[in-house]
Amino acid sequence: MIQRQTPESIGRVVATELKPATPHQFHFWTANETTIGIGAIVKVEGPGAGDQGSGRVVFGVVTDGFAYSDLATPLHDVVGAEGDPAKAAERPTVRQEIRLWTAAVLRQEPEEPLQPVPLGAVYLASDADVAQALRMDAYLTGAQPTGIPVGLYTAAGHEAPVYLDADFLLGPEAAHLNISGVSGLATKTSAVEFLLASIFQHFPAHKGRIAALCFNVKGPDLCFLDRPGALDDADRRRYERLGITPQPFERVRYYAPCKADGVNLNTLRTHPDLVGDVEPLVWGLEEVLDFAEVLLNRDDIDAKADAFIDFLSDRVLNKEFDDGFGGSHRVQTFADLDGLFRAIFDGLELTGRSDMWRTHHIATIRKVRNRLSNISTRCKGLVTDDGPSNDLPWGRFEDRTVYVVDVANVDALGQDLVFARAVSKLREHLERRDLGVEAVVVFVDELNKYAPGDGPETYVRKMLLDISERGRYLGLVLFAAEQFRSQVHRRVVGNAGTTLFGRMDADELATPGYQVLSPATKIKLATLPIGELMVRHPHFTQPIFLRFPRPAVLRGRDGVERFPPATDLPFEDAVVRQLVRLDRRIRPNQVKDLIAERRPDDVRRALAAVRRTRPEDALAYFRRILGARVAPVTAPAREAVPPLNPISEEPY
Amino acid sequence: MKLAHLADLHLGFRQYDRQTSRGGNQREADVAEAFRRAVDDLLVQRPELVLLAGDVFHSVRPTNPAILFLFQQLHRLRVGLPESPVVLIAGNHDTPRSAETGTILKLYEALGVEVVTDQARRISFPQLDCAVLAVPHQALVQAERPALRPERGAAHNILVLHGVLEDIMDPEWSVSDYGSARLTRADLAAAQWDYVALGGYHVRHDVAPNACYPGSLEYVNPRAWVQLREEAKQKVPGKGYLLVDVPGARTTFRPVPSVRRHIDLPPVHGAGLTAKELDAEIARRVAGSKPPIDDQVVRLIVYDVAAGTARDLDHPTIRQYKARALNFHLDLRRPEQRRVVGVGAPGQRHTLPDTLREFLTRRPLDADLNRDAFVRLGVEYLDRVGGAAGEQG
Repeated sequence: MIQRQTPESIGRVVATELKPATPHQFHFWTANETTIGIGAIVKVEGPGAGDQGSGRVVFGVVTDGFAYSDLATPLHDVVGAEGDPAKAAERPTVRQEIRLWTAAVLRQEPEEPLQPVPLGAVYLASDADVAQALRMDAYLTGAQPTGIPVGLYTAAGHEAPVYLDADFLLGPEAAHLNISGVSGLATKTSAVEFLLASIFQHFPAHKGRIAALCFNVKGPDLCFLDRPGALDDADRRRYERLGITPQPFERVRYYAPCKADGVNLNTLRTHPDLVGDVEPLVWGLEEVLDFAEVLLNRDDIDAKADAFIDFLSDRVLNKEFDDGFGGSHRVQTFADLDGLFRAIFDGLELTGRSDMWRTHHIATIRKVRNRLSNISTRCKGLVTDDGPSNDLPWGRFEDRTVYVVDVANVDALGQDLVFARAVSKLREHLERRDLGVEAVVVFVDELNKYAPGDGPETYVRKMLLDISERGRYLGLVLFAAEQFRSQVHRRVVGNAGTTLFGRMDADELATPGYQVLSPATKIKLATLPIGELMVRHPHFTQPIFLRFPRPAVLRGRDGVERFPPATDLPFEDAVVRQLVRLDRRIRPNQVKDLIAERRPDDVRRALAAVRRTRPEDALAYFRRILGARVAPVTAPAREAVPPLNPISEEPY
Repeated sequence: MKLAHLADLHLGFRQYDRQTSRGGNQREADVAEAFRRAVDDLLVQRPELVLLAGDVFHSVRPTNPAILFLFQQLHRLRVGLPESPVVLIAGNHDTPRSAETGTILKLYEALGVEVVTDQARRISFPQLDCAVLAVPHQALVQAERPALRPERGAAHNILVLHGVLEDIMDPEWSVSDYGSARLTRADLAAAQWDYVALGGYHVRHDVAPNACYPGSLEYVNPRAWVQLREEAKQKVPGKGYLLVDVPGARTTFRPVPSVRRHIDLPPVHGAGLTAKELDAEIARRVAGSKPPIDDQVVRLIVYDVAAGTARDLDHPTIRQYKARALNFHLDLRRPEQRRVVGVGAPGQRHTLPDTLREFLTRRPLDADLNRDAFVRLGVEYLDRVGGAAGEQG
């Protein structure tokens, strides 16, 4: 709620020939004992301004501060104290001192004509002033407000909520959010968790439905979003001030690949109380082949490999295919594909034909085969040879739901594949408007790894560039985080409409990207405490420092302590656990008897069918999919059939 | 081990009203004859195991001649190949809808044939070191299917079943047998078997190197033409059965010559032809038929024949054709109704120079360039390129 406070002058604008007031910057002095500091928002009222007047009002943010006395040179002070610092404190008169501040103009009223800042009184900005200074009045009022609380502006013991414009944070006007800061302070992840909660609670109804897809790329960071975290009174007060209910996310869907055994999940959310919510993420050949480019490294990217992969997708996959050596193939799984490759190699060898098969060179075929078989080996658990696949619920995304894809323990290649495929599918469905929601926030951490400013052109980087440049038209919004903003691809960070900065490394602050910041702002940025951020947003003409409450969810580190991951279970027990989760009536021994001596692939397939179908009687369905065993019966001894008398009449 | 794999005999199948000298249906006799020829060949090839993968009969209550005939032929097999087990499963055509109907197939157990009609059976043949999982249609359509997986212990594991793979099933049910149980490749797990003997698809088809449909022994679907088209597409040399060497699943197709041919004469396009001209075209097609149409099953499609023209055709001659052939199907098709929707005046298609001229006229150009000269030059260059190409060509 924006409150109007009684104005109280804290300083006065000064302008000299050397330090003039300009339309973009001004200087003001305050009492020596003042509460304002770097980042404080102030209001200047020119002559005639105020409630009744029509004079100029200027809002600014403090970017630098100076203190000096009337000493001509430092030597005068040494002489006055007779060279003894102890005597300096005993001097008979107190030297005149000044606190002089530099402020960057945030907004002028009226905006035209743009003039130098008047030499008027300076006031600390109230809630209403903050809203006006940051141009938030444009989107907080009106028939369809689009404000999303992002944090509290804090200065001089005063707090005012700051809102981002949903149109500019989530599209279509601008979109995307980039957050950078040193690692280990949990600021980046916390900020995103808090902001997502804020978006879910304040996303304007007229903009439709929204969901978030978060890639958990390290540790347990995003594994406990549905569990409440510890908050103190200050946090609760901040939540109240921001109008956000402090609660964990109501709807979170977890997806994690399996481990190599195909039943134990490759995530840290395996505590028995929680693992039930985790869906396995398993892909087959069809899911992988569309994104096979991801598997090719820089040396591999050539038109030939590309053409061969396209050939496989268009002409071979799921079609009756003649290999040219008399064999017919219907390739649906990695195992089938390997069968085709073997048939091609054998065929070429046996027939003594050239090294070309259907215009593709055997070396290209071998390369593609190696890459594809490599993925099924390195990412076993995510990619299945011939088992059933289980994917995100494309077309059935739910409003205000977070989909967490945990790829923290997946091979880097697999992470790229997951990322590329998930984002591509999102884009496909959003283009067709059949995802289930109108907008999706995609959170990607470690942008330094996925979209570096230099290094080889990768499929993932191309995709991130594509989202940042085209995503806002589709409702695909990228929330990305990194340590070093200067080392991320310029177009990815450049397209982010909103930028958050956590505590920054001094070396990073020395890079050209931060030259627009004053030295004082940089100092503040280098020493930001946990829970404080600097934000840039299209409506704000200057960066603003904010404080945000801790997210109301369990932090990853606390989560693994409270819900320690379970140890991997033997295959049978893991199957039992998954079935019991689906149907509490099932007794472990029933399942064990049922799966004894069955092939693990068959068991996995049946399990996947049960998960997909969610039948009322899970065990019966599981048994049905597995099929009944047929015991062998030895054929009875057959006696020779004697020739019979001929039938008197031939039937035909 | 050498095994023989037959399927979809459809004994008792009747079609057309032409009769044999004994008064039976001619096509029923043809179908029986095809099986007789197959048995003749089996007795020469001497497989160690014979598998009949369903739809031995065309109906649950087959004709009496069909019952007798199968008895005769199985008896021949058993006497001729006394050491070779014969496994027969029921297909969807052999399976009664209610249990009380019973099945005639059990009759052949008396000949020592392993008949599997409702529940799946895994039959071990120790002398062949082989286990056959025989899965009839009924076992595949009941609530709890059997697990189609091999059993450890036997050197050779064979699966025989009657059902159609979903990914090859044709929507018109002209090749795949209508009503067959549906299967997926994951159900079959062909890689785990030495051989999978399938029935229910009427054209020879390999679904995996070791999983095959031999196809039916005759054209036993009213839409035989679709099967013929499919055979041509798959380069299948007609009807027959498979001999399979296990392990390795090396298959040999043993063709079984049909008693008569199905002849699809080249179609006639009747647009603009008078009835007499059409008669002449039809006569030309019939005369050009190789073999002649006599006693064959023949189809001739004539497109774009108006109702009046069809009336005026030379029907006595057509009746003669019908008398000569076992069946002569003159398929007269009406012209397609084309709805004309007016969407503006008909336009003239632009030539390439036109398109280029239009583009160059619109293309942004530096102010100091003369656009007319620019356009003229562009079109000239295109003409030159076109001329050069024409000379080369």
